[in-house]
Amino acid sequence: MTDTRVAAAAAPSDMSEGMSYLSTLPQRVVRVYMPLVMIVIVLLFPFYWMVITAVKPKEHLLDLDKHNPYWTWSPTLEHINDLLFKTDYPLWLWNTMFIAVSATVLSLVASVFAAYAITRIRYRGAQWVGGAIFLSYLVPPSILFIPLSTVVYQYGLFDTPFALILTYPTILIPFSTWLLMGYFKTIPYELEECALIDGASRWQILTKIILPLAVPGLISASIFCLTLCWNEFIYALTFINSTENKTVPVAILSAFTDGDQYRWGSLMAGALVGSLPLVVLYAFFVEHYVSAMTGAVKE
Amino acid sequence: MFKNLGSSRNFLGLMFMLPAAAFLLLFLVYPLGLGIWLSFTDAKIGTPGQFVGLDNYEWIVGDSKFQTAVFFTIFYTVVASAIKFAIGLYLALLLNKHLPFKAIVRAVVLIPFIVPTVLSAIAFWWIFDPQFSIVSWTLRQMGLIDGNINFLGDAWNSRYSVIFANVWRGVPFIAISLLAGLQTVPPSLYEAAVLDGATPWQMFIKITYPLLTPIIAVVMTFSVLFTFTDFQLIKVLTNGGPAGATELMATMSYNTAILGGRIGEGSAISTAMVPFLLAAIMVSWFGLQRRKWQAGGTDD
Amino acid sequence: MSERNFTRRGVLEAGAAIAGASVANLSLFASAWAQASPFKPEAGAKISLLRWKRFVQSEEDSFMALVAAFQKATNVEVKVINESLDDVQPKASVAANTNQGPDMFWGLYSLPHLFPAKCVEVTDVANHLGKKYGGWVPSAEVYGKSGGKWIAIPVAYNGNVINYRQSMIEKAGFKEIPKDTAGFLELMKALKGKSVPGGFALGRASGDGNAWVHWVLWSQGGNLVDKDDKVILNSPETVKALEYAKELSDTFVSGTASWNDAFNNKAFLESQVSLTNNGVSIYAAAKAGAAKGDAKAKEVMDDMNHSLWPIGPVGKPTEFHIAYPLMAMKYSKVPNACKAFMAFMLEAENYNKWLVDSVAYLTHPLNAYDANPVWSTDPKLSMLRDAGKRTLTAGGLGSVGEKAASALADFIVLDMLASVCTGRASIKDAIAVAERQAKRIYR
Repeated sequence: MTDTRVAAAAAPSDMSEGMSYLSTLPQRVVRVYMPLVMIVIVLLFPFYWMVITAVKPKEHLLDLDKHNPYWTWSPTLEHINDLLFKTDYPLWLWNTMFIAVSATVLSLVASVFAAYAITRIRYRGAQWVGGAIFLSYLVPPSILFIPLSTVVYQYGLFDTPFALILTYPTILIPFSTWLLMGYFKTIPYELEECALIDGASRWQILTKIILPLAVPGLISASIFCLTLCWNEFIYALTFINSTENKTVPVAILSAFTDGDQYRWGSLMAGALVGSLPLVVLYAFFVEHYVSAMTGAVKE
Repeated sequence: MFKNLGSSRNFLGLMFMLPAAAFLLLFLVYPLGLGIWLSFTDAKIGTPGQFVGLDNYEWIVGDSKFQTAVFFTIFYTVVASAIKFAIGLYLALLLNKHLPFKAIVRAVVLIPFIVPTVLSAIAFWWIFDPQFSIVSWTLRQMGLIDGNINFLGDAWNSRYSVIFANVWRGVPFIAISLLAGLQTVPPSLYEAAVLDGATPWQMFIKITYPLLTPIIAVVMTFSVLFTFTDFQLIKVLTNGGPAGATELMATMSYNTAILGGRIGEGSAISTAMVPFLLAAIMVSWFGLQRRKWQAGGTDD
Repeated sequence: MSERNFTRRGVLEAGAAIAGASVANLSLFASAWAQASPFKPEAGAKISLLRWKRFVQSEEDSFMALVAAFQKATNVEVKVINESLDDVQPKASVAANTNQGPDMFWGLYSLPHLFPAKCVEVTDVANHLGKKYGGWVPSAEVYGKSGGKWIAIPVAYNGNVINYRQSMIEKAGFKEIPKDTAGFLELMKALKGKSVPGGFALGRASGDGNAWVHWVLWSQGGNLVDKDDKVILNSPETVKALEYAKELSDTFVSGTASWNDAFNNKAFLESQVSLTNNGVSIYAAAKAGAAKGDAKAKEVMDDMNHSLWPIGPVGKPTEFHIAYPLMAMKYSKVPNACKAFMAFMLEAENYNKWLVDSVAYLTHPLNAYDANPVWSTDPKLSMLRDAGKRTLTAGGLGSVGEKAASALADFIVLDMLASVCTGRASIKDAIAVAERQAKRIYR
């Protein structure tokens, strides 16, 4: 027993082993495994449904009684084919990636400077500024989109990717600043003190000391920002007009309706393929996602 | 060298803040002011407006569609957040236990959060179809119901359906965040409690929950904020229907301003959301204050 | 009169020849036309045209062939942008506001009247076409003219009619759709009784939904506004219309409150609903499916038919079909090219073929096209010929303008009916809410 306790104590991130010897297996099945399985099924079912519908032949889609809806024996790639080759999907994908990456880069740069300024430079009023950044969450896109569309016209950005590249940072900067503030605080100040005494400029400290040590934080922040950009809808819907400039979420919604007939197979294929880039990214960087979410929350 | 640091520090701080400040001032603060101004005009798409004072606000306050939207926005936020919290906490507690394949389960659980909302909304739209829903079909096959469930065509059904979709989407974020919080609770506390004969429920109430409160405050604030200002889910699933039953203030503002062309009125609806959000922020801000005190640190 | 007869015969001959005409024939005509037309495009012009996304594939194919012919004949490049029906108006509004965007917009109902000052005047085109093809139907003049001048060409209508399954109404004891509203209600009750219910959209379906709710309102004598644009919604006739609608909706299949324009197509094609209202896109889809060998689609195609709307106590038809006006924006650099395209579209050699290919999805605004073969080849489609003549205009008795467009965009009448039919509001309250909204729009 002592060994298990020691082992548990030595693995700080997983403290669950500690008292599990107290519950029996049947108890655990009922109390833990079954509810967990049920919840996971509910969480995953819509994706399963998306995948199945995307590969079902068109005739089977609406005839639930004749063809078992939960599975298909004759999967077809025609919907995905239609999506990739008969619509502008590659173009929309490119648009979305370009906008997401550009906005993320801009936001990160701004956030790095801002976070460093607040946590380290500690100029007068830094605390208030930190609070003010938090306040910007009070005005989310669904409040700002109307006047912002007017602003976007005024600056001549309407219907261009720059309308989104320049407005997304307002959503991304607060979050990444917060996150990076948390990371910067964990870097021992002594390192900077020594550098300052040695005559390094703030810029050098930032680039040579802080940034390399904060790489995990930067990765987490960028991945989260990319996800937020992909997920953004109302600005993309309002500021972009022509089909060739649309982003994936907006385009999928309008691409597969022939006036009054929805092509569900293609819609689902679009939904599926539209989610894949993010899911792939996520699969490679799960830990960074989790630490991004928890890092911001713990702040 | 250090004596100049005072003024140059402020200057430097300012310079470093400049990029972030520029974005936020140009694309957040200015539009916010513009939006408030617009709400006092009768601007339409195509014509700049003239000042009309409180006319738009008087109109929307008396408009039963707006009243319904306010009601449902609050209802939607409160109910969905409460359910998300309960299920999220429960899921976090489950995940905190000793499990095989824990990392994979945790990764899988986050997927609804990763996938763009619009795309999973499309999947739900199909699942909630009035004639061809898989859920209706399955229940019919099992003999539990007769006809098709009218998910999105009946007022209250549609409200519960969209709440369900929102909960589905939001639970992962809450669960994973709370899980991180749970993992900071030292197991020695639990062990001591067990030795003293505490039941699991007592341990939860007296140990887990109080230590989790600060994280709960932050997580729920975000959740409430995002739920209140939700747009995508409702737009895709019901677009405010049937007959305005699931209209949120955000969707109503979009339909009024962009589709109906009445920018002034739409801005009034958007601006009306701000007081509610302010209330939510106040609540969470005091929650945060409490945290620092509880953890023994000072407010810094 | 004789000129009209001549034109009709000429059209009939041309029409007969066109059945199966190829693009080659079209371009032959097109070049000849380009020489003779009074509307000459600017040199090196490029037009971008935004249109509503097609409902019938063959209509779009035919339209694109027309565009190709025009391009070859005049050397004017035409880019066609497709947007969903409901998006055309917001995008046109945005373009009118920012003075940039597509040169031409092809939208619905009273779209041009939202910004009449920004539309290129096309009186010369309208007069030319009217003289050549037997005159415009009255509703076309209402939709196309503002202040005595033509600001848009109402290129076509979309006839929205009752689609029904013959076998199912026979099961309910009826041989055809009753011609009066009282009889129609009996039919719907009988259909429900025999478990083959009908259904009309109660969700925000801008095409089908608006069509049937305005029919109900007008057929019982109710109106949103009078001819002076004064709101007269609060009237005993409106109450009667809402009572009728409620009784009707009690016979619907469940779920219609979440129907947009696509749902009734889906349901009808899967035999989940026996009767609904729609353009001919359901029939066209069934035909297309049958041609590909789908037995289910063939069954639907053979069994279904269309019918005109029943007539209510007011004693005359109160139908509401979609009008599709085409307008050119003043900020366009090539207004003459736009006018040339408008004229080209409605010339017999092009228009006849296009009407035939759209399988009666589109109806004409010019009288000479009554003779087009599409109205006589398939008896199931012939009743759509008069859609343009029978339709009332947006705004009902009142003006076709910005206010009517706003009222439609806000779904005032549709929401009023939906809230009564779904039981969310009493008749009195629903009328009060709609009246208040209408008064704001029409003030």
